[in-house]
Amino acid sequence: MTAEAPPVTTVEESSRTTPVTGVRAWLSRHPLAAYAIRRFGLYLVELWGALTIAFFFFRLIPGDPIRTLLQTLQQNYVYNQQASAEVIGRYRHEFGLDGNIFSQYLKHLSNLVLHGDLGPSLINYPTPAQDVILQSLPWTIGLLGISAVLAWILGVIVGAIAGWRRGKIGSAIATNLSIALAHVPFFFVALILVYVFAYSLGVLPARSAYDSNLSPGFSLDFIGSVLKYGLLPGLSIVVIGTFGWILSTRMLMVPVLGEDYLVYAEAKGLKPWRILTRYALRNCYLPQVTAFGISLGFIFNGNVLVEQLFNYPGLGTTLVTAIRQLDFNTILGVTDMAIFSVLTAVLLLDLLLPLLDPRVKYWK
Amino acid sequence: MRLLTAVLRTIRHSRRLAVGLIILGLMVLLAVFSPLIVHAIGGGSDPIEVAAYEKWLVPGPDHLLGTDQYGRDVFAMVVSAMSVSLQIGAIAGVISTVAGVIVAFVAGYKGGWIDGVLSTFTGILLVIPTFPLLIALSAYAKNVSLFQVGVMISIFSWPFAAKTIRSQVLSLRSRPYVDLARVSKARDLEIIVTELLPNLLPFIGVGFASSALGAIFGLVGLEVIGLGPGGVIDLGQIIFNAISTGALTLGAWPMFVVPIVLLTLLFAALNMINIGLEEVYNPRLRGVAGE
Repeated sequence: MTAEAPPVTTVEESSRTTPVTGVRAWLSRHPLAAYAIRRFGLYLVELWGALTIAFFFFRLIPGDPIRTLLQTLQQNYVYNQQASAEVIGRYRHEFGLDGNIFSQYLKHLSNLVLHGDLGPSLINYPTPAQDVILQSLPWTIGLLGISAVLAWILGVIVGAIAGWRRGKIGSAIATNLSIALAHVPFFFVALILVYVFAYSLGVLPARSAYDSNLSPGFSLDFIGSVLKYGLLPGLSIVVIGTFGWILSTRMLMVPVLGEDYLVYAEAKGLKPWRILTRYALRNCYLPQVTAFGISLGFIFNGNVLVEQLFNYPGLGTTLVTAIRQLDFNTILGVTDMAIFSVLTAVLLLDLLLPLLDPRVKYWK
Repeated sequence: MRLLTAVLRTIRHSRRLAVGLIILGLMVLLAVFSPLIVHAIGGGSDPIEVAAYEKWLVPGPDHLLGTDQYGRDVFAMVVSAMSVSLQIGAIAGVISTVAGVIVAFVAGYKGGWIDGVLSTFTGILLVIPTFPLLIALSAYAKNVSLFQVGVMISIFSWPFAAKTIRSQVLSLRSRPYVDLARVSKARDLEIIVTELLPNLLPFIGVGFASSALGAIFGLVGLEVIGLGPGGVIDLGQIIFNAISTGALTLGAWPMFVVPIVLLTLLFAALNMINIGLEEVYNPRLRGVAGE
């Protein structure tokens, strides 16, 4: 759909000469580029579709954010006069809520794509929604990113070893534990961790992201405090995530173990550790790279709850606050952000995979 | 009858599947008899009524799990909440499995542009984080029935079932016996119902278990942050109550621990059924998930 041939090529093809120029000819000589273009086209379609569904979905929720805003303003400024139609109209325009839903949609999409502008937020009026989101984004990326990667690495390593040593007691324990716990929601672990470490033992904090006595900055105290406060929420994501990756890595690992080249490697007298890392693991960690990208969306879902429980100032908490106050622009912004990250991660991994693994040839 | 013996044989072959089914069966039994159990605890009156007993009683012989901030018996609440959680799982599981199966069969069997459109659409729904949408929906629906909650949740969980089943339809479509049926002029619907569907039952089972799991998780998640739909008391609501009233500081730990343990058991059972089914029907995986 993206690789349309210009008319010139068609003329050349019809005259049965091999086209030397033209997009189609170039593409047939560069299959990797053709694949990349097609994949990118699919990415754009998916991105557009997901943003559209999200927009219409949230607009269908009944409720008037302007009324909420006026109420807040009236409470804050003890301004108890009925708002005039003119004021309401002005706010409606500012929030992009005037006109019918399709013109609203077009305006939202063009503002978002051309200017990266989501309109003003309501939870922190008049700060633009994108600024509100950008403030909380680093916390989520820090917490979610680090713990998701950590869980992946731990899970793949333990899963590979569990597959390698199958039949042993340790492996059986790891596998069965993973089966039992892989689908337990993050926040259960979070609740238990809070109960044990924050409430019973009182050694770790259970609220917020850093000590409120410290001011954010690049001081040793502040970074130490961030790490200390991030330990419990991070741990709850890592624990459950690891179990999931153990299970799937083990499932990929075991069929590989029956392959002839592993028997050959053993017959050559290679050390078991070398066979595991260089021969067996290399064949099963690549599907896990793709799976990681796809899993980011699920991890984000779970993360919303974890952040909420710990009152962590990330995207999840912002989202819940925004929904409570019917702040369309911020809700939509957070959702768009999550959609964009997942799709982009999957796109990048898909494009990188052929470079990592010469056997992967999507473009054939 | 043949189906029944086949099912029994399957269960005998996989210890994991059997354990999962037993745990799930016990929970379903508990849910089915929950009105009786609740009645027995109340001894004539309703133990879940506000101010049925004294507030914050510690666990003892009269109240196995104590009472909550309104003086309701926690044990009775947990039993009936569990039946609610299971019902949500069943409703959402059935709806999203049916929707998923239909989409998967149309996409996988018809192929071509229909498959392209349906698969892209499914893929798009899969990347939209469901939780914000679910929170928004529940804010929209303050007073809804159990069934409506189930429908709401299944709007977001059918794509998972559709994706799993579609890939299986694709692999089955080109099998010789399907070709044979096609050559002998069987109609599409006939082929789907008599040839494809029976062979896909385990995968449909997997789809059902995962959707049910996702639905229960979704509702519990909403309840835990206090944004659940009103009028439905499930296990998540009890956990939320325990957190928001500081039940732990008052020594009412069962209000917090028992729902979590029950849900963890339920998730484990459903996952065991999933993996057990896959192991039995996918020879490549047999023994893979490991003894």
